[in-house]
Amino acid sequence: MIYTIQIIMAFLGSLGFSILFNIRGRKLWYAAIGGMLSWVIYLLLDFWLTSEISRFFISTMIVTIYSEILARIEKTPTTTFLTSSVIPLIPGRSLYYTMSYAVNGDLDKFVSSGGQTVGLSASIAAGIMAGSSLFKVFIVIQQKLKG
Amino acid sequence: MLTEELLCCVLDIGEQMLVSGAEINRVEDSIKRICQAYNAKRVDVFTITSSIVVTLQREDGCTFTQTRRIYKYSTNLDKVDKLNNLSRYICSYTPEANYIKNQLIEINERKTYSPLVQYIVYALIAGVFTVFFGGGLRDALVSSIIAVFLKLSISLSQKVDTNILFVNIICSFVIGILAILSVSIGIGESIDKIIIGNIMLMIPGIALTNSIRDIIRGDTISGLFRLCEAIVIALSIAIGFGIASIFFGGIIK
Repeated sequence: MIYTIQIIMAFLGSLGFSILFNIRGRKLWYAAIGGMLSWVIYLLLDFWLTSEISRFFISTMIVTIYSEILARIEKTPTTTFLTSSVIPLIPGRSLYYTMSYAVNGDLDKFVSSGGQTVGLSASIAAGIMAGSSLFKVFIVIQQKLKG
Repeated sequence: MLTEELLCCVLDIGEQMLVSGAEINRVEDSIKRICQAYNAKRVDVFTITSSIVVTLQREDGCTFTQTRRIYKYSTNLDKVDKLNNLSRYICSYTPEANYIKNQLIEINERKTYSPLVQYIVYALIAGVFTVFFGGGLRDALVSSIIAVFLKLSISLSQKVDTNILFVNIICSFVIGILAILSVSIGIGESIDKIIIGNIMLMIPGIALTNSIRDIIRGDTISGLFRLCEAIVIALSIAIGFGIASIFFGGIIK
């Protein structure tokens, strides 16, 4: 039940940010679906992986490929879909706790929470890079097969 | 024919792209491709988050350099999309400078969502993320209402001073106080959840991710630039909450 709510919220949250980023028309819905997809994949990976960072990595990678494919179809930059699609994964919560530990002067927790935040951001970034590189490989192979 | 005027237009495109949230890579690539489409002998583009420098050499040996300094960004992906289409068009048809100018004016006049919609969206996002991170319905409602005040204080404080540090400190202070007040009155249940919902609207999470992405890709300077910016924003938000919780945090306990 809680997962269903989270998935719906991920969709609405991505939709909201897509509107703030001024995405228009059909692309708006694709971007919001991307956000939902990223969270669904993240939740599904729970059956298989325990490490938070690797779940973030794989989820971002798949969503990047999703955005790349849609970007080709819609003839628009990948950023249009990608920025909104990773919104549910953005480590807002851990960044908040990092800040609140800093304010309260809890140094140990601050360091560990800060490390986690940077780790999660790095895994999202690495996931994006890996996804787009993989997609480029697909494209090259496809062109070779055609040509 | 490559003229100073044309280079100016090309830089306009690059500048607008960068301001609206395109990646460094894409900006450099677009400028380079356009210049090459006009038969430039050599093009050198250097882009970081706050500046674009282009030097190009024409076939007759004449060289131009132009620079743009970028101060402010506002993400507008619709514009990136349209600019991208424009630069593709230019690459294949190499139109006159005047045509590009008119197209740019047209793109700049494309409308954004109205303020009312933006207020609603702010409320929606804050409420949604409060629930997403485990808050209850009452928290979500409070968080949505606070988000409206957040949007209001963003637009008001930007009128007074555009310094991003100042704006963030004021806004996070407002969120902090309202969240504390709502819990102390008894409308809200959990301060954390209410604040997290609102913080998603301010937090430099996207900037943080993009900066690391830039570093991995090899645009180290831009990446470090954005990373520093993200850290400064996070710090300023923390300062705002800090002030709120130091002065008014006692109300709840």
